Amino acid sequence: MSTYTNEQVAHLVEGSLDWETTFRMLSMPKDNSRFEQYLKALQAKVSFKDKIVLPLGPHLYIVQSAKTKQWVTQCDCGHVFGDYRENWKLHAAIYVRDTEEAMTEVYPKLMAPDTQWQVYREYYCPSCGTMHDVEAPTPWYPVIHDFEPDIEAFYKDWVGLPVPERAD
Amino acid sequence: MQVQTAARVQVMGIDAGGTMTDTFFVRDDGRFVVGKAQSNPADESLAIFNSSQDALAHWGRDVDEVYPELATCVYSGTAMLNRILSRKGLDVGLICNRGFEQIHSMGRALQSYLGYALEDRIHLNTHRYDEPLVPVSRTRGVTERTDVQGKVVIPLREEEVRQATRDLVEAGSQAIVICLLQSHKNESSEQRARDLVRDELKRLKADIPVFASVDYYPSRKESHRMNTTILEAYGAEPSRQTLKKVSDRFKKHGAKFDLRVMATHGGTISWKAKELARTIVSGPIGGVIGSKLLGEYLGDENIACSDIGGTSFDVALITKGSFAIKSDPDMARLVLSLPLVAMDSVGAGAGSFVRIDPYSKSIKLGPDSAGYRVGTCWPESGLDTVSVSDCHVVLGYLNPENFLGGAIKLDVQRARDHIKAQIADPLGLSVEDAAAGVIELLDLTLSEYLRANISAKGYNPAEFTCFSYGGAGPVHTYGYTEGVGFKDVVVPAWAAGFSAFGCACADFEYRYDKSVDLGVAQFASDAEKAAACASLQQAWEELAVKVIDEFVINGYKPEDVMLIPGYKMQYMGQLNDLEIVSPVSSAATAADWNQIIETFENTYGRVYANSARSPELGFSITGAILRGMVVTQKPVLPEDPDCGPNPPKEAYLGTRPFYRHKRWVEAALWKMEALKAGNHIVGPAIIESDATTFVVPDGFETTVDKHRLFHLKEVK
Repeated sequence: MSTYTNEQVAHLVEGSLDWETTFRMLSMPKDNSRFEQYLKALQAKVSFKDKIVLPLGPHLYIVQSAKTKQWVTQCDCGHVFGDYRENWKLHAAIYVRDTEEAMTEVYPKLMAPDTQWQVYREYYCPSCGTMHDVEAPTPWYPVIHDFEPDIEAFYKDWVGLPVPERAD
Repeated sequence: MQVQTAARVQVMGIDAGGTMTDTFFVRDDGRFVVGKAQSNPADESLAIFNSSQDALAHWGRDVDEVYPELATCVYSGTAMLNRILSRKGLDVGLICNRGFEQIHSMGRALQSYLGYALEDRIHLNTHRYDEPLVPVSRTRGVTERTDVQGKVVIPLREEEVRQATRDLVEAGSQAIVICLLQSHKNESSEQRARDLVRDELKRLKADIPVFASVDYYPSRKESHRMNTTILEAYGAEPSRQTLKKVSDRFKKHGAKFDLRVMATHGGTISWKAKELARTIVSGPIGGVIGSKLLGEYLGDENIACSDIGGTSFDVALITKGSFAIKSDPDMARLVLSLPLVAMDSVGAGAGSFVRIDPYSKSIKLGPDSAGYRVGTCWPESGLDTVSVSDCHVVLGYLNPENFLGGAIKLDVQRARDHIKAQIADPLGLSVEDAAAGVIELLDLTLSEYLRANISAKGYNPAEFTCFSYGGAGPVHTYGYTEGVGFKDVVVPAWAAGFSAFGCACADFEYRYDKSVDLGVAQFASDAEKAAACASLQQAWEELAVKVIDEFVINGYKPEDVMLIPGYKMQYMGQLNDLEIVSPVSSAATAADWNQIIETFENTYGRVYANSARSPELGFSITGAILRGMVVTQKPVLPEDPDCGPNPPKEAYLGTRPFYRHKRWVEAALWKMEALKAGNHIVGPAIIESDATTFVVPDGFETTVDKHRLFHLKEVK
């Protein structure tokens, strides 16, 4: 096991870490303090004051609201998608590619799926327009709830950190 | 040491590694000295000079006095390899078939994990493509196609070649490589392209070298051939400059010899040779060549060569007096078509880092290592991760006051503290038991690897003598040979300089290979057999021109060169060929063909089994090989008079506590240089010299023979 500096972890988040160190990180067992350092690096990148509890995507987090201590899903820009237990996608701006014309915007003709069988659903932040996710389900399929993390168990049993305060 | 000028210094070997440059000098009476100096990538010639001074000081002599005496000198080094790894070669332009411009950048998928430990190979996240040697921006495709049978189906569009040449010169190319599909089957299009490029360059008044794959490595496998030709253009020319500098410094100090370089095929070639790409790996090969020579002295024809360095454990087998050659090896994470002395490596060495897996609580060795920084026992190393060397220091294997001849002082307490915190405490063990556990794990890993390497090839360890060398080899010899059941275990007194010694043992030998495709049925007519012989003979003659050309560059006459033809053969339809030294010096008749297949069948029976022979399939020759050599001076081994089993008093240095099998014992310390031929030492004992430490634990004994080789035995 190795240990890394906060600066190295910040470079890892940015994708600017040198390959040799990245390779060592990938091939060695994960260092104990990594999650803490990772959160710190993420927190330094965002403009909001709310504490990041768990990252959900490159620009999406579960955060502890600085004002209310409630846990909510939140975009980089500070837009709140609602309670962290709910599916944030239901509060996003949605664009569905379900015609051949819409598909040929992203794939060459005849190289995209038949929209009778498969559609693309793109989820955007209503405030800043960041694309947070794309689903590729059959047309009738309900909105997928990707991830229902057991944050308490993760903090206590996996990374050995105190669970941040939460108001419900 | 007293000045001895009676004997002439004849041979010098150089191993210019990444951290240390070793030199090895042998006199005509077989006495030798080993010198060490810090490597100097900016000017290798200086490091070699310093290392030479260090070595010759043992004899009270000086470079200016000794260099003029030398008959021969062989260089091996990692400079070329480092140049490739750090991508510091020439800006090469590439001409290939139109539509195949991305092939070199895409590379072979396996290049994304070459050189990785097994854990990382199966861990896809770690796979990564290195930057290509030639970017797509300096690659041009030309319309041409030769099919797999060698038939030209689309003739070369000549104007496109001229245009490509102009583009590549415009793009700043410092060399141009041409590699067209199937050119090993039919070289006509590629040769035409080469002539057009040269002509166009002349018109442009651009003086840059042109490398056509058929002129260098006419072997099948497109990626291999392209990579190798690019490597030649990319790295060889700068390396030649390095070697010229080394050669010039020798000349300045009065040297009369012509510097030679160790090459991948196990021979040495001149630094002026046309093909220098094959000097990319040379150091580890030296050990195999040295082992072969020692084997000839001792009358052992089956040898397991084992080399432990700081980062890896290399194993090679010599069977019936010859080593195996791999014809499509990988180096610097590139697949290549160069003949390479076959070696297997595992990434565990004396400097490997030791860590506890936080989940399984098991000890994990490597794959990274402390390298020249030794371990936490060297305070100046800046390291805080325990290495195998730390465990050795704590257990009394290594002398903290005399590491590298006292060049650096090791701090035992510092190593103890780190082992305690990182290994012993988490496992609930004492520091000694934790450290001993690490050593045992390493020894077990290595001995399993060694055993598997021998038995997987169908051999019995009892028929093999194991040679153990490398700076750290003798510390571990007992550990990785215990219980394997070798016929004999040999540690040369010059283990630390063994690679340099081995390089000096190598023949001055060029080897050229060419792919051929000859298929002949079991009961073919005499005419068919003669036709196959004619094709083989033609390939040998083509290769002979190249081999003799190389020697002529060094001032030899064609009649001085001894030519040894060989071929690669397999049963038709099988996948693996065998490399055979030809029983006939030239091939023409059906009788010659019968001898060619008889020799193949005998070899096949030996390597696999007689019952596995399948002559009913017919025979294919897949490659023609031609080696050419001239006579050179090789090191002679010392021949000392037998002084009886009792070591002289002055060799005894006292005792040191030594921990093994859960107890501390007092191990006798001996000075390696002071031991005499015939001396017999029973463990626990530690035999020290400046560059290496030979551990003989209880349950083992060793005898020095007249050649200064230590024979290690388990006491039954």
